[in-house]
Amino acid sequence: MAEKLLKMEGISKAFPGVQALSNVLFDLNKGEVHALLGENGAGKSTLMKILTGIYQRDSGTIIYQGNEIEIADTKEAQQLGISIIHQELNLARDLTVAQNIFIGREPKSGFRLFLNEKELNLMTQELFDRLNIRLNPGELVEDLSVAKQQMVEIAKALSFESKILIMDEPTAALTDSEIDSLFTIIRNLRSDGVGIIYISHRMEELKRIADRATVMRDGTYIGTVNMREITIDQIISMMVGRQIYQNQRPEIKNRRIEKVLEVKSLNRGSTIKDVSFDLHQGEILGFAGLMGAGRTEVARAIFGADPLESGDIYIRGKKVRVKEPLDAVNNGIGYLSEDRKQFGLMLEMDIKANIAIASMNGFVQTGWLNKLNINKQASKMVDALKIKTPSIHQLVKNLSGGNQQKVVIGKWLTRDSDILIFDEPTRGIDIGAKDEIYKLLNELAAQGKSIIMISSELPEILRMSHRVIVMCEGRITGELINDEKISQELIMTLATKRIG
Amino acid sequence: METQGPQLIPNDKKKIHLKSNAIQQFLAFGSLIILIIFFSIASPNFFQFNNIIGILLSTSVIGILALGATFIIITSGIDLSVGTVMTLCSVMTGVFITSMGLPIIVGVLGGILTGATAGAIAGIAIAKFRIPPFIATLAMMMIAKGLALVISGAAPIYFTSYEAFTEIAMGSIIPGIEIPNAILIFFGMAVIGGIILNKTIIGRFTFAIGSNEEATRLSGVNVNKWKIIIYSIAGIFTGIGGIVMAARLNSAQPALGQGYELEAIAAVVIGGTSLSGGKGTILGTVIGALIMSVLTNGLRILSVPQEWQTVVVGAVILFAVYTDVIRNKKAN
Amino acid sequence: MKKKSTIFLAVMFLFSLVLGACSSDQSNTDNDSGGSKDGKPYIAIISKGFQHQFWQAVKQGAEQAAKEFDVEITFEGPESESQVDKQMEMLRAALDKNPDAIGFAALDSQAALSLLQEASDNKIPVIAFDSGVESEIPLATAATDSRAAAALAADKMAELIGEEGEVAVVAHDQVSQTGIDRRDGFVNQIKEKYPNITIVDIQYGGGDHLKSTDAAKAIMQAYPNLKGIFGTNEGSAIGVVNAVSEVNRNDLVVIGFDSGKQQIDAIKNGLMTGAITQNPVGIGYETVKAAVDAINGKEVQKNIDTGFFYYDKDNIDDEEIAAVIYE
Repeated sequence: MAEKLLKMEGISKAFPGVQALSNVLFDLNKGEVHALLGENGAGKSTLMKILTGIYQRDSGTIIYQGNEIEIADTKEAQQLGISIIHQELNLARDLTVAQNIFIGREPKSGFRLFLNEKELNLMTQELFDRLNIRLNPGELVEDLSVAKQQMVEIAKALSFESKILIMDEPTAALTDSEIDSLFTIIRNLRSDGVGIIYISHRMEELKRIADRATVMRDGTYIGTVNMREITIDQIISMMVGRQIYQNQRPEIKNRRIEKVLEVKSLNRGSTIKDVSFDLHQGEILGFAGLMGAGRTEVARAIFGADPLESGDIYIRGKKVRVKEPLDAVNNGIGYLSEDRKQFGLMLEMDIKANIAIASMNGFVQTGWLNKLNINKQASKMVDALKIKTPSIHQLVKNLSGGNQQKVVIGKWLTRDSDILIFDEPTRGIDIGAKDEIYKLLNELAAQGKSIIMISSELPEILRMSHRVIVMCEGRITGELINDEKISQELIMTLATKRIG
Repeated sequence: METQGPQLIPNDKKKIHLKSNAIQQFLAFGSLIILIIFFSIASPNFFQFNNIIGILLSTSVIGILALGATFIIITSGIDLSVGTVMTLCSVMTGVFITSMGLPIIVGVLGGILTGATAGAIAGIAIAKFRIPPFIATLAMMMIAKGLALVISGAAPIYFTSYEAFTEIAMGSIIPGIEIPNAILIFFGMAVIGGIILNKTIIGRFTFAIGSNEEATRLSGVNVNKWKIIIYSIAGIFTGIGGIVMAARLNSAQPALGQGYELEAIAAVVIGGTSLSGGKGTILGTVIGALIMSVLTNGLRILSVPQEWQTVVVGAVILFAVYTDVIRNKKAN
Repeated sequence: MKKKSTIFLAVMFLFSLVLGACSSDQSNTDNDSGGSKDGKPYIAIISKGFQHQFWQAVKQGAEQAAKEFDVEITFEGPESESQVDKQMEMLRAALDKNPDAIGFAALDSQAALSLLQEASDNKIPVIAFDSGVESEIPLATAATDSRAAAALAADKMAELIGEEGEVAVVAHDQVSQTGIDRRDGFVNQIKEKYPNITIVDIQYGGGDHLKSTDAAKAIMQAYPNLKGIFGTNEGSAIGVVNAVSEVNRNDLVVIGFDSGKQQIDAIKNGLMTGAITQNPVGIGYETVKAAVDAINGKEVQKNIDTGFFYYDKDNIDDEEIAAVIYE
């Protein structure tokens, strides 16, 4: 029987008008990776915030290393050895790796007045050696890849001598090989006796790394299972309360009717090299590749968000000049960024404003807003896209990820865009909502919209695309028809195929 | 990405949000009422028609500047040039009317145009040349200050022989009631500002740019163009402020103006507009400007030493912004 | 985009042209002031300001004397009277030009001491003017006796209100020497000589016309029985006049300080009862004259009182007054 590190029992927490957690159970052994699963709003974050001292529970007990404890604030949690790595990285980009890890705890010399940079780097190196992380302590964080930044976060968390490490979607921004090295570190930590609470939406990953999993739904405890004894479908049905089949194949119909978009020899520095491809009406064209392969860069260039060095873009056979997003939008292109909050939405504004923003010319008469028409259109979109909201006056920041994505889709449908570029359309969206987004994409394609879909999840690519373009290091390394011959392995080979 | 507890049921969220919004509106307005009641009890001379008119009159110039600044602050920009551009506008009006002998109306329009031009230049520098608003308007502040001195020859320009000009601020367009036009202009501009901000495409893009400039650009909005327009509109407000100021003083004083921009910004901030952009109301700014002048006037009537008046106003700014922070925290 | 940038640059260029053209006449004297190349003695004058009419009048007097005694002068001062540091830079730059004499009106005497010492070490005579310099270094000080001038304002105020009742002061500054002297000169005189007059309030408008207007209005509102207000400089006095005309309290006795077109007009049309004027032209003239004497090794008088006058509707056109007031 493994040694119990943590036991949370009967945890309840209410917010004004909402019972966020009721009677939740969770336990963690030493040297275990314990996945915490549930759809958005299931209460995972609230539970973790109670464990890290951000929220105080209303009732229940927390037993840590055999003693009942109270966690008053985040500092106390840190002192107890409970650390969390948030999904968003919280690093000072202009400081070095070592400076970030020991921020606020810098070794000092000379009457504690001066910083001892040498000692700092030495301490960091020792930490890295212990964790088997290969990073230069003196390097600037802004020069590191996302994956390496994540390593820095992990090292920082563990520099507090953590006994419990909470990881919230640690692989969201990582490529497969980066995920592999993250897992190596996690396994090392596990053998050192650290208890890891692992939050993720990626089921395949959990199979590889987690020992046990606790599933939550709507603020309640559903059950704890041993990962070796359960299938992904079973876990998913625990999460959503119904059966969902993940490995669907697309309803492939060849829709090569008319060339809508033609891209010829795009170039932009080292990120886009000689990229050419076509997009047909009613088609979903998948863009596969590793992180940094240049897919987002191509999308942004076509959309005019970043300037091009050379290359031509033809829409319905006519050459167009796209220098600004405005030009792209006027040519019927819509772009749904991978980072909705930063590039897609005005979070502090309401649904109707977000839906109307790309089509304002249609909603003004000599400068005056036609609020009636805006409201009508917003209501239409909310109905058509099944956006879950009490009203169109709701601020977008209060919506879930899936509904936020639908608002962005609504924005482009309102603009009547024919070509839609979806960059990671289901990132950060829970499984139930993912399904709806997929359905929407298929419907849009059936209506004759042409869709470019960038995705890092191969099952998603295979399920949705009619054709697949694979990129590696700024170049197109392959174009595949999604038929029986295609496989994840084939795509991965192309995605790692370096040309010149 | 999981959202936190209270967002589980959007319905309740909405209610909480509305409530805290209402609380903030009430807080600002309530503070104003409490101040007025306090001063009325403290001194019998405070709550009198003449004094109330006096307070409104002393609010008018800063208030008009603050209305323009509200637009800029909602875009998450800042305008440090309003004080000296206001002065430049009054000097230009003076030159047009007294030196060039143009009709008063032309001089007034010329002054307003000066403000719009200064705003447009700042806007172009910010939007096209990517100079941060703080720096661009700091430069504009100095340019306007220097130009005002150069053009006026560092001497005041008097409108003594143009009585109609003084009437712009001190006359009374409503017969029978002695309300100086300056006050009516202030409230009139507030109404116009409110309409632009809430009913027109300019206002919509003001909020959109402040809320998320990049997302707005990626929605196919010509952000640069709208920024220039917004800064120009703020410049128009500044120009009107300059004309009201000149009309009230019956002269264009080239050495005045610096420091007014900070008072305008303070009024906007007290009114609940967030310096991080995307949020703000014209009504809030009007209340903010009124709070400042009620406070100053009341403390003067109580003969509180000037030094302490400044301390109190500073404390009020801290308090006002703190309540705003609390509100945002609660709303989240 | 390119086209618009060009327009922007053109506008900026025009701006700089305007700036350059208009300021060239000012910088002329600066440019050929590099020491006494052409044989003429060179006197650097650092004043407390240059934008206000008062300083322009001082400059005028200085230029008049420069012409008369055939010397070269430069005249500069910071933009506002709080910019002590800027004034120090100007003094520093003036010293570096190795002038034959320096005329100096200190914003802050203490801050200037080391530079003045340097002048003294280099045998450059220093003539203080306006509020003077608290130090033994200046050979002479050409200034108005501010306290005596404000006391005269108090006497006039007392006389006009019948030596009893409430009066108030709108001052321009609570830290500068002239602000303190004029306020205290007025207040002390009232306290000592007129026991039936009470000073009910002293407010500060920073010399800003608009702020002084609001301050004066608040005073009138708070003290309905007020009989008179003393404004301690041009901006303050105009502010008081504005306030009086805005609330129609023409019965109030308003006494101002210095002159300028608006004060002169106010006195002529009765909104202002009278004002104290210094002799700014005389200050500038006497400063240069003393400097010339010092350069020529002549004895100079330690305290040169440049005088002050009370003027009102009746004597404003007298030759003596007309010579010292400025529009």
